[in-house]
Amino acid sequence: MKLVVTGILLAGGFAVLPLFTERNDLLNLGVQIFLAIVLAQSWNIVGGYAGQINLGHAAFFGLGALTTRMLWVGDVPLVLSLLAGALVATAFGCLIGVPAFRLRGAYFAIGTLGLAEILRITIGNLLPEISTIRVAELASYDILPRYYLTLTLAVLCVAAVALLVPSRVGLGIRAVREDEAAAEASGVSALRHKLLALAVSTAFAGLAGGAFAYYHVSYYPQHTFSPIWTFDAVLMSFVGGVGTVHGPVLGALFYVILKEVLALQWVEFHLIIFGVLFMLVVLFLPGGLVEAWKRARQAIARSR
Amino acid sequence: MGKLFTTYYLLLATFKMILTQQLILGLLVGGLYGLAAAGLSLTFGVLRVLNVAHGELLMVGGYATFWLFTLWEIDPFLSLLGVGPAMFVLGLLLYAVLFRFVVRADEEARIKNSLLIGFGLTLVLHALAIQLWTADERAVTTAYSGAVLRLGPIAIPLLRLSSLLFAFAILAALHLFLARTRWGRAIRATAEDWEAAALMGIPVGRTYLLAFALGTALAGIAGGLVSISYSISPSIGMEWTLKALIVIVLAGLGSLFGSFAGGILLGLAESMSVVFLGGPYREVVGLMLFLLVLLVRPQGLFGTRP
Amino acid sequence: MLEVENLRVAYRELLALHGISLEVHPGEMVALVGPNGAGKTTLLKTVAGLLAPRAGVIRWHDETISRTSAQRIVEHGIALVPEGRRLFSDMTVRENLELGAFTRRAQKEKKLQLEKIYSLFPRLFERQRQRAGSLSGGEQQMLALGRALMGLPRLLLLDEPSLGLAPRVVDSIMSILSELHHDGMSLLIVEQNVHAVLALAQRAYILEGGRIVSTGEAKRLLDDDHVRAAYLGPLARGAE
Repeated sequence: MKLVVTGILLAGGFAVLPLFTERNDLLNLGVQIFLAIVLAQSWNIVGGYAGQINLGHAAFFGLGALTTRMLWVGDVPLVLSLLAGALVATAFGCLIGVPAFRLRGAYFAIGTLGLAEILRITIGNLLPEISTIRVAELASYDILPRYYLTLTLAVLCVAAVALLVPSRVGLGIRAVREDEAAAEASGVSALRHKLLALAVSTAFAGLAGGAFAYYHVSYYPQHTFSPIWTFDAVLMSFVGGVGTVHGPVLGALFYVILKEVLALQWVEFHLIIFGVLFMLVVLFLPGGLVEAWKRARQAIARSR
Repeated sequence: MGKLFTTYYLLLATFKMILTQQLILGLLVGGLYGLAAAGLSLTFGVLRVLNVAHGELLMVGGYATFWLFTLWEIDPFLSLLGVGPAMFVLGLLLYAVLFRFVVRADEEARIKNSLLIGFGLTLVLHALAIQLWTADERAVTTAYSGAVLRLGPIAIPLLRLSSLLFAFAILAALHLFLARTRWGRAIRATAEDWEAAALMGIPVGRTYLLAFALGTALAGIAGGLVSISYSISPSIGMEWTLKALIVIVLAGLGSLFGSFAGGILLGLAESMSVVFLGGPYREVVGLMLFLLVLLVRPQGLFGTRP
Repeated sequence: MLEVENLRVAYRELLALHGISLEVHPGEMVALVGPNGAGKTTLLKTVAGLLAPRAGVIRWHDETISRTSAQRIVEHGIALVPEGRRLFSDMTVRENLELGAFTRRAQKEKKLQLEKIYSLFPRLFERQRQRAGSLSGGEQQMLALGRALMGLPRLLLLDEPSLGLAPRVVDSIMSILSELHHDGMSLLIVEQNVHAVLALAQRAYILEGGRIVSTGEAKRLLDDDHVRAAYLGPLARGAE
């Protein structure tokens, strides 16, 4: 319950922030944070709750971005473009889901990575030119709608996961993660639940991509398919606390802010720090920051 | 009519030449793919650990070779004799600090955890490389770098040929080590059944350490050869990890020469795709083959174990 | 001499051994019999160092080895011939044997031991360059036995040596074990073929549900009513 309240307060705080400041850099930072939250949380659904390490997450982000960009630049209303992006991403997810889930553990991971790379290279070849929004749009570019769009997506995504987890479907997904054989034996279809998780995950990834396409003025289409997006999602989820609702949010906040702070001097340094943290988490603290926080509170409570 | 035939034959001859040239180039790079895969196959086969940072380790070896040449003018092939052992030590360190903890879990958890650890290691090494050496491409250019062996219209870059032969020699040496020596046999036994190996008095932990360090050394040597015959940059890490993974999936585990053959196969497949689909889709063919084999025959084309 | 005191061992979260105590004196052949799932394999694996006990002590010549690793146990002179043999099937007969002599102590005597093993198992000499996986069941058991002997053990643990073998082959294996025993080897044998092992052993323990329910001279147990009913009746495994 406390978490819900904190979440609402946080979201509320972010929502009213633009009333108190006109600083574009802060608002841009906000957009980065919200995008990161959606990216991490969407990955968390399959990676944390379903227990399948999906290293092809960027493919869905990219598909969402591609579809939304093409439609929106072609004068299709934004909301429809975004929905179309999510649809394409989800459709692709369902398409590859069935053969992909035949692979176990590490093979699923490298298989999805390979698939995402195929997409990236192909898109890079078919659309090598930079994608820019039209001059007219550029003149009237306003950060506020982007800010509120990404904030809404972040809230929606976190809420969706929060609602999914305790639901019947969510329980099934987690049962599959714990012990697939046992789940099947009790009548829970492993494949169906994994596909459901993938569908929700890819839908949000697609929306995130679409939001990215709406937010960024110009970028290379290939870039949205880059494995960097997947890696960011994995890092943020694990360091924050994979398999929890608030973990990816914490991870995303920490990650983006650290990246900003370090960006002035050391461009890639945040990756070194997060890489090391990530390995420490995997080896010694699987629950990430969430678990560290819990343990700290327990230690404090005991010392009283 | 005569003119038509002549044109046709000319085109055919040109095509055959291009194809042969590409196939030879594919063969030459394929040997390095095989060497890279052999190192990963060794660690995966023995420890059941999927070190996806393998490509980054290859990159590190490449840079070591490059800097030894650039700063102290050590002939690159000669420097490999130093880079190999240095990478071996790095492998010992990485095992002691990281992968030692991963092997404590059972096999399924091991593979998953090693994937994640390898992933973290990849990011750290990649970021460090960019920080230290910038993202620029580097290549070792010696006096003999441009030498070419000509067989009619076909040009065989001598450097790449030497690299292929060197790679083959290293693999042959490794094979002898595994087949004839006490520790080599211990490694093979541990790979097959670690509990039975422990019952023989084989120290499993130390065997893992040795196998991991050997795998890292192989990666480093492969990297050195890449910097000699091609070029390196921080981004080749993931590229080569994928190459190694593709070869392992194609060739299966359990045989060094299977890995070598698998590498050659991948190189040739890439060449064919360059000829028929054009350069930009070179990687795609390999990746598609990879996915196909993963789905249809997970134990690989020559593999002995799933 | 091997002493096991109040051993408690868990296997996959469940307690498999509930306080086992037994002994093997120098030069003794001791049998361990009981139904499937009683914990016999768990016991041998724990003594051999593959499993760590939750409680209790294992002593070998007064040295505590309860938590010693498997490879160290071999150095102490205890060798396990595991259930199902677990040979390195991709390696040759000779390679398997040589691997058995991995420890430093055994390495020194390797050539000598190899000849002894070949004279004990001439079939293995004939097939020394063959893949271990291509041998017959009986030959594989001989190889597993030979491999364990290469480590120069003073105590041999055997887990179901007769499993899956034809009666004639079982006889030859048993006679070899008897021969080893006469040469001074201590043996602890887990067997389903109760009749064969009780005929050779000096003492025996009966393990049921993770507990020792009976112990005594092997010959006496052969005549015991409960034993006859449970293990030697016409429905019992391994009966003639």
